[in-house]
Amino acid sequence: MTAPVLEVDDLRVQLRTPRGTAHVVNGLSYSVGPGETVAVVGESGSGKSVSVLALLGLLPQRVATVSGRALLQGEDLLSMPPERLRQVRGPGAGMVFQDPMTSLNPVLTVGRQIVEGLRAHADVNAAAARRRAAELLGEVGLPDPERALDRYPHELSGGMRQRVVIAIALSNSPALLIADEATTALDVTVQAQIIDLVERLQTDHGTGVIWITHDLGVVAGIADRVLVMYGGRCVEDGTVDDVLERPAHPYTRGLLGSLPDLAAPVGPGGEVPDLTTVPGLPPPPTDLPAGCVFWPRCPVRGDARCETEQPPLVQVGSGRSGHFGRELPHRAATWCSEEVR
Amino acid sequence: MSDVLVSARGLEVHFPVRSVGLRRTGGGVLRAVDGVDLDIHRGETVGLVGESGCGKSTLGNALLRLVPPTGGRITFDGSDVTALDRRGLKEMRRRAGMVFQDPFASLDPRRTVAQTVAEPLEVHKLRSGRRERAARVGELLEMVGLDPAVASRYPHEFSGGQRQRVGIARALAGEPDFLVCDEAIASLDVSVQAQVLNLLRRLQRQLGLTLLFISHDLSAVRHLSDRIAVMYLGRVVEVGPAATVASDPQMPYTQALLSAVPVPHPARERARQRIVLRGDVPSPSAVPSGCRFRTRCPYVFEPCPDVDPALQPAGAPGQLAACHLHGVVGIPVADDTPEGVTTTPTS
Repeated sequence: MTAPVLEVDDLRVQLRTPRGTAHVVNGLSYSVGPGETVAVVGESGSGKSVSVLALLGLLPQRVATVSGRALLQGEDLLSMPPERLRQVRGPGAGMVFQDPMTSLNPVLTVGRQIVEGLRAHADVNAAAARRRAAELLGEVGLPDPERALDRYPHELSGGMRQRVVIAIALSNSPALLIADEATTALDVTVQAQIIDLVERLQTDHGTGVIWITHDLGVVAGIADRVLVMYGGRCVEDGTVDDVLERPAHPYTRGLLGSLPDLAAPVGPGGEVPDLTTVPGLPPPPTDLPAGCVFWPRCPVRGDARCETEQPPLVQVGSGRSGHFGRELPHRAATWCSEEVR
Repeated sequence: MSDVLVSARGLEVHFPVRSVGLRRTGGGVLRAVDGVDLDIHRGETVGLVGESGCGKSTLGNALLRLVPPTGGRITFDGSDVTALDRRGLKEMRRRAGMVFQDPFASLDPRRTVAQTVAEPLEVHKLRSGRRERAARVGELLEMVGLDPAVASRYPHEFSGGQRQRVGIARALAGEPDFLVCDEAIASLDVSVQAQVLNLLRRLQRQLGLTLLFISHDLSAVRHLSDRIAVMYLGRVVEVGPAATVASDPQMPYTQALLSAVPVPHPARERARQRIVLRGDVPSPSAVPSGCRFRTRCPYVFEPCPDVDPALQPAGAPGQLAACHLHGVVGIPVADDTPEGVTTTPTS
């Protein structure tokens, strides 16, 4: 058994807002093994992005209160002094954000930006760093990497920019790669290229990946394990097959039911049935319901405890052993699943 | 009365590209829409798919004459849209509406929902009197699943999904025949997308609307549409019944596009053969000669650089594809006479 790259334990994030304290992440625990991909799924406001920003100390300290523990290769990110965190951010954990145009500096060439990251963490001279930068661009599949070094972000297409951002994130061979909606802004064909790329690099370097997305199709293709977030809590987790094929939480079921299916069977009249929807909207993090966070929208609520008592995350299916000999249980936090009753 | 409500023939929207920067290296032409043939029948939903920059939004805008076409013809209910005078255009604006992508940008933040939805009623003098207009606004809000009591509220008080419903109510106010929905669900969360998709379908049936649903989301398009048109680099390259285009695409580009759509089933995802296309989409100001997809096509062969393929029957009945694999049909590049159509039977 290999030690996990990242172990998050009871992560909580509160943000002070004009409307009161927002409980954005409320007790999140998970781990990521080397070479493993954990997908964090949820809708806007579910806390998925904030939960990883908190790990890397990227939330504004004046408004954010973070508690819990997050061990990156045994070292707690949350209690680390800022200077140490800066050192960890390159070689420990790399991050790829949604919009490559805003994560790149528009007035610096691509080469400068990669070289800057390399030289911040390793003692290399400019010429060697430049050679390495060209190598990296080649690795992420940019045509003519030598020339690309001297180009500015606006000269590249969206897919190429995102490759540059990935090259920067990977420049210090991080143990952990965090991709926050990294392919959401891209077209499906480019998305397919980027996913292929990350999977290949992951196999080559044994990088653990946290892939944050709302696209369950992408999850089905890349994830080993899935964590479904709602109202700042993990409401269901398990292997990708368990969560997507045998969802136990009514929210996960609702999400899957609301996706149109490209290969939907057609009825005799050429009719595709209506989508099942999750009625209503997610609760604002400033005003989370007592009890189960999902009960106000839940189609099967009925248990007396729903409104008053928060359901614990409990095992709902048989545990499976994963790639790394680890037990990968399927868990859900609901009073309403058959297995829980 | 013809069965076709909206029709485009050889439609072109070209933009002049002014050179920028110090070295002014001659301006070119950006071919956003470059010879589109498309018929939209009364009461049907046509899904228009394609990647960013393929010209699908420009096509939607051109059909409503929100951008002037530089070539070709558009007819709306039999009359030539490009030749409409002021009055004709105003009447067309009533009969053809638009639902925009961004429900945050497309609503005036200083106007209440009632003011926004009532504006078309005032412009087109559809309801006289304050009270009648208010009643109609209530009716429209109810139709899109909003409480009529929200009429006095401002856009910032609503979620994205609710704003999109307001946008739909506004588009319906003129009692249009034709609605263009340009990426109308793209900015919404998954569960809210489903609500809006169901709403659009219900309204389409209830009101007998004709819809052009523009989206990059193939699953959503497949769900909502009767027919699907696929665009690549300014041209419709495949069109046909939604189910057959989605299950049995005939144009290599459509095949690649569909193979890249991730589906939420792990077993199906693992079994899937993804066709990863080489490179990026060429710039619309430097369209390849002959078949515009040839630079990325895995099946490219002799006629591709020389003959610009025309849409021709391929696959199921009603399905058309612009691809030489189904027989070399089109306009030879070198030939100056447009009548020079060569045809060889499919073997």
